[in-house]
Amino acid sequence: MFDLARPSRRHWLGYLLLAPAVLLVAALIVYPLFVSADLSFQNVGIARLDQPRKAFTTNNYAHLFSSPEFWMAAWVTLKLVVVVTGCCFVLGLGTALLVNQKFRGRSVARLLVALPWAVPEVVATVIFVWLFDSSAGLVNWLLIKVGLVDQMINWLSSTSGAFAAVTTTMVWKGYPFVSIMALAGLQSIPDDFYAAAKVDGASAWQRLLYITLPSLKPVIGVTLVLVMLWVFRDFSIIYVLTGGGPLKATQTLAIMTYEQAFGFFKMGYASAVGIVTLVICVLASMAMMRRAPDRF
Amino acid sequence: MKQATLHPLTSGDNHELHETLFSAQRPWVRVVLALSLAAALTTFVVTLVKPDVTPPLAQTKVLKFISWQKDEPGNREWWAGIIKEFEASHPGVTIEWIKVARNSYADTMLTLFAGGKPPEIVHLAAVEFHKFAENGWLEDLGPWQKKANLDMSKWTAIDSCIWKQKLLCVPLLYSGHPLAYNEALLKNAGVGVPTNWEEYLNVLQKTTLDLNGDGINDQFGTGHETRGGGAEYLRELMIYTLDAGGRFTDANGKVTIDTPQMIEGLRRWKTIVKGSLTPRDLSSAETRQMFADGAIAMKIDGPWIYPIVQKGRAAGDIKFISSPLQPPMGGASNVIGMPSDIPAATKQLVWDFIRITISDQQQSNFASLVGAVPPSPTADTSAAKAKLPHWDVLVTAMQTAAKAGVDRMPKGLELSFNEFVKMVKEEAQRMVIDDLDPTVVAQTMQKKAEALQKQQ
Repeated sequence: MFDLARPSRRHWLGYLLLAPAVLLVAALIVYPLFVSADLSFQNVGIARLDQPRKAFTTNNYAHLFSSPEFWMAAWVTLKLVVVVTGCCFVLGLGTALLVNQKFRGRSVARLLVALPWAVPEVVATVIFVWLFDSSAGLVNWLLIKVGLVDQMINWLSSTSGAFAAVTTTMVWKGYPFVSIMALAGLQSIPDDFYAAAKVDGASAWQRLLYITLPSLKPVIGVTLVLVMLWVFRDFSIIYVLTGGGPLKATQTLAIMTYEQAFGFFKMGYASAVGIVTLVICVLASMAMMRRAPDRF
Repeated sequence: MKQATLHPLTSGDNHELHETLFSAQRPWVRVVLALSLAAALTTFVVTLVKPDVTPPLAQTKVLKFISWQKDEPGNREWWAGIIKEFEASHPGVTIEWIKVARNSYADTMLTLFAGGKPPEIVHLAAVEFHKFAENGWLEDLGPWQKKANLDMSKWTAIDSCIWKQKLLCVPLLYSGHPLAYNEALLKNAGVGVPTNWEEYLNVLQKTTLDLNGDGINDQFGTGHETRGGGAEYLRELMIYTLDAGGRFTDANGKVTIDTPQMIEGLRRWKTIVKGSLTPRDLSSAETRQMFADGAIAMKIDGPWIYPIVQKGRAAGDIKFISSPLQPPMGGASNVIGMPSDIPAATKQLVWDFIRITISDQQQSNFASLVGAVPPSPTADTSAAKAKLPHWDVLVTAMQTAAKAGVDRMPKGLELSFNEFVKMVKEEAQRMVIDDLDPTVVAQTMQKKAEALQKQQ
């Protein structure tokens, strides 16, 4: 008789209990992924699962890698990942260091720092659409009042303006996550380290460089990977703010996938874009994980 | 002293129960328990994923009707009246009316059709209809129409529903665009109502003003879509290309963008957008609101602008006349149809719903509630005419546009329409952003449109 009480078989109970969850995950993640990969090797317009499978082809990938639009989307995605992740890191770490200090109103300050993270993405983006409006937006009004510019900037209908608007919105939405994670990391650094460094005559800058940052490395490493992946696959901010335009200046791989699938009804081609995006994400994550310290 | 972390089943009175259930002498108990739990959890999960599809006990049949117009004033009341009439004449059949936002409408319908679960009553934008028709997802309404002894040959824009010699839908609206203008703003600027392009441009320039001297224009000559969807962008661009005599394709579907007329039309668009005679980065809906509130002097637009204007701050100053740019922009707006792969009995019900929609009574209601000219030639529109001071202007615009064969959908590019409008929008934006010569832009558009046509 199969005895689950035997010490050597006790783990089977755990597997059995986990089975439904594993099956659910497989149904929700692995199956669509498989369907998507399969579609990417077919010349499919509008996909229907009840239709017979079409002939195997690598045309979607051949078309993809020879398409300037794909390389432009990849370049825009890369620029966005680097700029947004970098800005989120600087701003997030800076605010975390700030609200880690003891001062009156620290709780309110912490709340304010974390607030953008709690605002739904679409709501935040609509606010930024108003702020960057070229005709009556607050940003233009401020710039003119301060005297930095003498005419309206077409934020959302110029290529550089639209990229700046998307970057600003993403940084605003993304930096609190870095801040919260860094704050948690900062609170785990023993005060003794700083006290000892002070006794040794270390300046504030040296304490930051030689105590704070090395101690935060594991936290920051994980956080940056998560932020990078968020920027990579984020759709709603760009879609609501610019729709990927003008002139594809803000069209990332995620926007391109959506447009090919639901705008132009080219599901096979869109699946190929999606699969390539997935591969890039996995490779980028692995590269960052490898560079992280052991405690990562 | 008891350990704080003792498992409930191993502590106190529960210890005996634990021993009974999990002792080595009764291994089957563990197996049965584990399998039962796994089965229960799996059943729960499956129930979550696939809800019970058993129909309710009562003998009710539900027809799903998805539309983006559920919250639109005018259309909302019109559809509600049709649903009420249908349900009253079909006891036991109810209409489940669901709103899906316009900007995600095509995606949603596409997903439903692709998943084999289309709504029974199919409401589509006229420009999106062809993709559904091409996939064989729409029922041929010809036999139904014949069986009902209906003659729809004189319906406005009925051709827009014919695909491969089959009538696959019924048009619900075809409209022409009149000119709406703010009388007070024109008077303040010392200009009269324009009657041609030159006068129109002059009025735009005179009415685009920085009223408080802060360096920011507060008032604009007109308002155009410069941010949102490609189809709206194309519609507003075509106001100028049509007046210049240009068409994207000819009657045979041949691409004709590099003609002098089209180049002139593009030049006019560039003059207006680059000259900031329209606010930038706004959707057409936002410009309509600005016009209604008195921040825009003139707007050439469809009949849907009237309900918005009525609620705006400048309602008393806004007048409607025939557009100075001829032929007026116009086209089929939305259509109704039924899926091809639903049971025959359900098809009969859907046809009954469509019959009510296209009945003279409901077409008359459409005119007075929506404030637009219905496509049915036999509908009584006297109530709408009495209610709307600009009714005759709407009728003239619609008839002129229809006679000139104006439509947003260029013949020969139906299956690549979304790619086509995106291409036109991007090249027009490039013309403005990079200050390109419209001749060069027209040549680029011509090549790209021809390439799209080839890949169809």
